Amino acid sequence: MDETTVQVYSVLFVMATVLLVFTARFFQKRPGRRRAQRQLDGLERITGWTTQSIESNRPLHLSFGGAAIGGDKTPAALAEAELFHQVIKRANAGDIAPILSMSAPVMIPLGQDTLRRAWHKGDGASRVIWYPPNLAYAGAVTASMADDKPAAHIMAGGFGIELALMLDGADRQGHPSLAVSDRLDGQAVAYALADHVLIGEELFVASGAVSEEGRGRNDAAVLDVWRGLIILGATVFLLLEFSSQLPLLTWQLAAAGAAVLIALGAVMYRRR
Amino acid sequence: MGRAGISAFVAFAVGLLTLLSLLLGDNPALFGGQPGSEVLAERLALPGDVLLRLVVIVVALSIVIGIANLLYVHVGRVARGKFYSAVLLASFAFTIYWYVTNRGDSSLLEAAQVPIESALASLLFFSLVYGGARVMRKRADIWGLLFVAVVIIVLLGSLPLAELAPVKAWSDWLMAVPVSAGARAILLGIALGTVVAGVRAMLGQDRSYRG
Amino acid sequence: MSEEFNWLDYVEQEESAPAPARRSGLRRFLPRLPRLPSLPRLPGRPRLPRFPGLPRLRRRRVDAAPGQPSAADLLGAQDERPLEALDDRLLQLRERSSADSQPEADAGQPLYDVDDVLVTPALLQKPGGVISADALAKAQEQQVELLRDIVGGATQDEGQGGRRLMPGRALFSLGALPRLIVASVLLLGVSLPFVSSNYAEGELPPSQFPVAAQGAAAVYSLLDSLTANDTVLVAFEYGPMAAGELDPLAELALRHIVARGAVPLIVSSSPIAVARAQNIIRAINRSVAAGGLSLQHGIDYFILRYLPGGSLGIRELNENFADVVRVSAKGVLTGLAFDSLDDMAAVALIAESAEDLRNWAEQVVPELEDTRLLAFTGMAAAPLAQVYADSRDEIFGLVAGYRDAFTYAEMLQAKFGASKPQTGQPEPEPASSNAGHDTQADQPDAAGAQAERAEATVRALVASLQPSPTAPSPTAPPPTLTPPPTLTPRPSNTAVPTATELPTATATVETILIVEVTSPQQVRIRRGPTRADDILRLARAGDSFEVLGANADGSWYNIALAPGLAGWIAEFLVEERTSTRAAFEAGQASASAGPPAGPVILRSVFRFSLGKTRPRYYQVNSPTTSDLRDYVLLRNRSQEIPRLEAMTLGSLAAALAIALGNVFYALGALRGRRREGRA
Repeated sequence: MDETTVQVYSVLFVMATVLLVFTARFFQKRPGRRRAQRQLDGLERITGWTTQSIESNRPLHLSFGGAAIGGDKTPAALAEAELFHQVIKRANAGDIAPILSMSAPVMIPLGQDTLRRAWHKGDGASRVIWYPPNLAYAGAVTASMADDKPAAHIMAGGFGIELALMLDGADRQGHPSLAVSDRLDGQAVAYALADHVLIGEELFVASGAVSEEGRGRNDAAVLDVWRGLIILGATVFLLLEFSSQLPLLTWQLAAAGAAVLIALGAVMYRRR
Repeated sequence: MGRAGISAFVAFAVGLLTLLSLLLGDNPALFGGQPGSEVLAERLALPGDVLLRLVVIVVALSIVIGIANLLYVHVGRVARGKFYSAVLLASFAFTIYWYVTNRGDSSLLEAAQVPIESALASLLFFSLVYGGARVMRKRADIWGLLFVAVVIIVLLGSLPLAELAPVKAWSDWLMAVPVSAGARAILLGIALGTVVAGVRAMLGQDRSYRG
Repeated sequence: MSEEFNWLDYVEQEESAPAPARRSGLRRFLPRLPRLPSLPRLPGRPRLPRFPGLPRLRRRRVDAAPGQPSAADLLGAQDERPLEALDDRLLQLRERSSADSQPEADAGQPLYDVDDVLVTPALLQKPGGVISADALAKAQEQQVELLRDIVGGATQDEGQGGRRLMPGRALFSLGALPRLIVASVLLLGVSLPFVSSNYAEGELPPSQFPVAAQGAAAVYSLLDSLTANDTVLVAFEYGPMAAGELDPLAELALRHIVARGAVPLIVSSSPIAVARAQNIIRAINRSVAAGGLSLQHGIDYFILRYLPGGSLGIRELNENFADVVRVSAKGVLTGLAFDSLDDMAAVALIAESAEDLRNWAEQVVPELEDTRLLAFTGMAAAPLAQVYADSRDEIFGLVAGYRDAFTYAEMLQAKFGASKPQTGQPEPEPASSNAGHDTQADQPDAAGAQAERAEATVRALVASLQPSPTAPSPTAPPPTLTPPPTLTPRPSNTAVPTATELPTATATVETILIVEVTSPQQVRIRRGPTRADDILRLARAGDSFEVLGANADGSWYNIALAPGLAGWIAEFLVEERTSTRAAFEAGQASASAGPPAGPVILRSVFRFSLGKTRPRYYQVNSPTTSDLRDYVLLRNRSQEIPRLEAMTLGSLAAALAIALGNVFYALGALRGRRREGRA
């Protein structure tokens, strides 16, 4: 594929996404059409942890890790900020503001802004903490946990394997944890060591699931549509690849099969 | 239009400009390769470049915010009697003093930071193995079992022992087929999520930048 | 979340209910109005207006959720009572639930009314928090667990999967035992090889990279084809976490580039990585100091300013390369004038994560025309990086991990150990002829530096003519500047009892006796014909050597390793045959993994031992000239083999710990599940 074709496809893809997001927003505004979201174990725990934080007067620790705005991970960082916004809003009933930590200095303003907007009890500037990246960050967070005794850790951001230090520290001190990383190595560590884990795109639907008014829940549908199309495309491609080796399988047959699959998928999607 | 509206509009306009600039700029072939298309493509590429350069400058300067935040937060915590913050501030002051009095001397870096971070890195090994040894404590199900089995096979497969040659074959296959497929699926999911979240941000759905 | 009870969802429905005034923090426990919770609210009590931003959790009435265990209910019900009117047990509860208070280990009697609510049989049999109890809905279970946490600091049974609120007071507790066991097993695994060679496990890496597309061999050969006119961009994208693994690779790459006379331009998107690069340059400088030389910033290498902004910084490098190379890390003008990355002979990327590799491949490579991207990465990122490298032909080659570093070092040793200055050919001047920097216009000091370097070269030249104190071997005469004597074979099939002086006559048609290693394991070539002698080198099956002689009983062969260097190998490890010199040399040339030639002297240095020891060796090159390029490959390799063995044993220990630990926890879970089933 030459460069021009790639660019054309990219433009089409972005435009289709915009269209889908608009459609999702349209349904979002009609409460009757609001989507029920698949339950995610880790997110369900957030409710309990928030309550625990309130009742025991211990803060929640929300970690951005190395997530940063400004690069190609900007949308991920914004999605994490949105999730934290929802969590902080829930913690408002208590008297102790959650702690936000990050290792990218460019995230400090975003963190402070998130806290200021969601926390209604005065200035939370001192609850937003920056440490230098990677190992230094992991080491510093592990150490300061001993001081802060958080009720739970929600680590949603960019982490590498240094996440192991933080999760191990949390476990040693008896603090529950939820972890998700937009990097593969961090994701693997999260799966092995965290009490609860989100995987891949679950990070992007988390704020919708935690949000009390179901804000953004319909955007999960956009992700589902794209994911379904990709799976379908891959299946059709695979069938066509092997069609020459299988008797009776022509591309028309494969296309018909694909159409049936799409119809089935749509029906099942509606019924769910 | 309220403050939020203005912010959303600015975000939308800048986002769209950058997006168009990155997607369409610098490729005259997109405009049919006509005589004027090169100039057009270059002009389209310009705003994206300028904006991204601005981002780089802002990111470079943000380290100052980081240091200010570090001091602000930890002075407050020391006042509340937090021990580790006192240690942090003391080492910060000492480092500044050292570099002012010994300009160009990086021995502190070598004698303190490098060994300490290396020690932390080796601690990671213990943390990872200990975490790996307790996967079944948290996930005593088929997925936990699968995870542990793959970890052990890949670990053993990486060893240079002749006795483990068959394990190496399994390990190679695991890494090449299922692990790589899974990794790509996760990356694909993240990429899709990134695009959707990006579009959401551009349309002013997220509140992150609203005034 | 829909069917099961969830108290936040529940509260949402209560929004229209009149909200009582909130009292924050501990003040909600302070005396206010002597009121019992079940009494109706007094009229005229201030009510907050409806305000969507206010949290909803505290707005409900106390009796809003009868039958649901909730700490908020229990505590809120006591809201308005004077402190002295509280029940003793409730006072304790209040103290325990307040901030930062450490629960006493045995503070009075348990809170029966609360605990009665909490201790349900279904919950008690919940093993390790792993299998959910059937008796309670998930949301209820969460709430009960939460309550147990809040009120049950002292009464909570940790063995039942509850969490400790605070860390235990004891310095050592049984709970730390598994951690201690795992740590001890790992420590033992990684430290044994450093103590004794009895525990040496695993084969050493090959002495040459297998030839494969996008493999390490491609990287080596591309760097090896550099000339003195070339400039290589070396990107350091790793921090202290990967330093143990990537420092050796980075060091080898830099040494290789400098040894070829090319100039590395070091760049990074992290300030810490810039510091690491400076450390490595310092290590190289310690090597070349032996020849009275040093690498000089601005001539032999450049460290450029760091690139802020992560992937955007890399984009910046790509698009404004001329700007990036203009300023060094210390903010000084470099005088370099390059237009684009294509002016580089190669781009070497030393990256910690596959993601960095992806960033570079996606941001930088598409803009390159001829320049290739060479990747160096760690074992953790290697599998993904390899998949990525295989699927994208932009990545020219991938060198991964400490084992590849060992092979790389072996290849460099083999290659550069053999290099001799050719007196007839003029040596290309390493720095002055670089196309990239204009020494006349921008580097007024460069000419002076060149003169100094030339002087140092002469000084070191004289020094190198003196016998080196670090070259104790009688079989390796101090190197001289003359071309080495032509290695001449013994034209006979008869074994010679002892090694003799090399004859100087050259035969025209030569039949020589060679031995080929037949042992499947790596074998050791020693300095003398006993197992106590130092190891000079390792050889693999298929390696062949020319025989110089044998010892008295014929159990050891004396073999030629390099011009001027001979070693001994045990007879039972090899097979003897004859060959012609031409055929032998052709075979050696085709299998360049063969014995490296050159003025390489390996010396045993590792003596500390608790058990039986095998001598460690390291390379003490005696450079034949004072050229920077000969000294730059002087490296202490004494710890390489123990490190490799430690990695093997450490990984074995890790696999063992992971397997046993998980079996232990899985059995525990199974037992718990069975008990639950019985109940």
